[in-house]
Amino acid sequence: MTGATVRRAGLPRDLHPGAWWLWALGLATAASRTTNPWLLLLILTVACHVVVVRRSDAPWAMAFRLYLYLGLAIVLLRVAFRVLLGGDTAGTVLVPLPTVPLPDWVAGIQLLGDVTAEAVLAGLYDGLRLATMVVCLGAANALANPKRLLASMPGALYEVGTAVVVALSVFPQLAESVQRVRRARRLRASGGGRVNAVRTIVVPVLEDAFDRSLQLAASMDSRGYGRAGAAPRRDRAVTGTLMVTGLLGVCVGVYATLDGTAPRVLAGPVLAVGLVVAAVGFVVAGRRVERTRYRPDRWRLPELLVVASGVGTAVVLFLTSSFDPQDVYPSLTPLTWPPVATLPLVGVLLGVLPSFVAPPPLRTPASGSRATEAVR
Amino acid sequence: MSAPVVPRPDAPAVRTGRRSALVLTLASVAGLMMFVWPLLLDPGADDGQRTDAPFLFVLILPVVIGVVVAELSEDGMDSKALAMLGVLSAVNAALRPLGAGTAGIETVFFLLVLGGRVFGAGFGFALGCTSLFASAILTAGVGPWLPFQMMCAAWIGMGAGLLPRRVRGRAEIAMLAGYGVVVAYLFGMLMNLAFWPLLAGVEVPGHDGSLAYVPGAPLLENLHTFGVYTLLTSTAGWDTGRALTNAAGIVLLGPALLATLRRASRKASYGVRGTFGDRDHGPDEGSGPVVR
Repeated sequence: MTGATVRRAGLPRDLHPGAWWLWALGLATAASRTTNPWLLLLILTVACHVVVVRRSDAPWAMAFRLYLYLGLAIVLLRVAFRVLLGGDTAGTVLVPLPTVPLPDWVAGIQLLGDVTAEAVLAGLYDGLRLATMVVCLGAANALANPKRLLASMPGALYEVGTAVVVALSVFPQLAESVQRVRRARRLRASGGGRVNAVRTIVVPVLEDAFDRSLQLAASMDSRGYGRAGAAPRRDRAVTGTLMVTGLLGVCVGVYATLDGTAPRVLAGPVLAVGLVVAAVGFVVAGRRVERTRYRPDRWRLPELLVVASGVGTAVVLFLTSSFDPQDVYPSLTPLTWPPVATLPLVGVLLGVLPSFVAPPPLRTPASGSRATEAVR
Repeated sequence: MSAPVVPRPDAPAVRTGRRSALVLTLASVAGLMMFVWPLLLDPGADDGQRTDAPFLFVLILPVVIGVVVAELSEDGMDSKALAMLGVLSAVNAALRPLGAGTAGIETVFFLLVLGGRVFGAGFGFALGCTSLFASAILTAGVGPWLPFQMMCAAWIGMGAGLLPRRVRGRAEIAMLAGYGVVVAYLFGMLMNLAFWPLLAGVEVPGHDGSLAYVPGAPLLENLHTFGVYTLLTSTAGWDTGRALTNAAGIVLLGPALLATLRRASRKASYGVRGTFGDRDHGPDEGSGPVVR
């Protein structure tokens, strides 16, 4: 780490996971507003660059490669769909192919047919858009520390959040448990088929895990976790009413959003009100949990700048797509070379800001002393 | 064995009162609509630009799931249920990568079915949510598909808890295996349906002949296209693989696992609250012993 980097971005630390998620969602939203391949490739490059510069060496950060493969698969799948099931589209024929007739029960579907440049490009643009959005989410997964995200769970989900934390910390013990059972099995030299082998491993491991869960429950009880039924009856009635009303609103709103013939008042407004009421119920339910956070993640200047860069990218592309649709949705009929405009390019380049302003990630020293980092 | 101090061996781990049931039902209706939206969508006359509905739903569905889980945990999830939920989620999350991507072998569902069966519908719902969430965190697989997967898995766990409780022995295993097969196909279909317009594309009017989604077309027409799409892309491979894994897992490991889970449930004696003698908090078993 050079002195200049430290001065510019501060000491190595984990950025607030929420900031990474908002930045990535901003990039993904920007990608959803365009089918211009140049812009999409630029967004991909920006996301990859920030990931490579700012990811830690934690296991979740290494999964980013899988998202790139997934993106590639999406693009190939979309183009293959267009070619295989293209039907007869008019346009520039690239490869003349016959149409394969299909039996009656798949009426309305044609196999093959002439491969046109329009069809292939349409598949490519659409696929690239979806792939870019997926890679943006992969970037968030690689950059944000999921354990810290879990620590900032809202109060109403406190109990279930505890269960997930238990799951994450029990997980490594399972491997150890499996090894122990297998060693015991080998010592006993028990025979039997493969099914029997699985059974003689799975059942003891589960028994072990359940016993451990009861011990854990006892120790949680003695430390005051998972207290039940502390809320007064009247509070419970209020939160229940809020939640039920909110969900009713969501039901009506979702249906009206989909059904264009329903009155518009029922769509947007009712959906929004339902969500707000449900959220209020959620917050009120969370107030009954009284607890403090150990070393909470704070929103400092780098966090705000990272969020601003993601949101800025999304806003610029939103504006361009409503003012100047040709720049972000290149035309397929007639077939043209996708244009490169300045404004959306600058907007996308805003997204690269985190690679300068975000603090450098904590890297594990070779000995791996941070491997036992506490969850909360 | 008739004394009230003896806990029922099949008491649900998470109590679901009438209000929780109402919240669960409403949330399930809202969730189902978000899964089958391509069939419900009617563009109407004003605009045809609402095929981006799933992006909206990706934001709404987590709120719906969060509300249900908050209600479930408020209605009565004690530390024993929490610890069991955590441990079973960890086992599920460990089982999941075992089969990921290899010919559709999905190892996450059969334990979900067994867990929901033994610990009840409310616990099954919560277990579906936490299992998928924990495994997504462990494998860095958080994305727009996650809320949909969580909802589906939650339904699978809940449904297993709602199956008739009287059935025991071989008939129970047969019933659960059948349920596992049905659920495997339903899961594949619902997930396909929700993301079908994204993967196969949306059809522009006046051009047909592909597997793409046509907004506003008659229900049967879209259903037919979707049927062919899901048959070609997943039924033969992933869905059947998942169904076979479920059935095999339940038939081969089910009897032993059910016994293990029931033993754990009996040991934990859910539905009994420890009391300090001043007044009883338990709803049904008044004067329960302090457990363990």
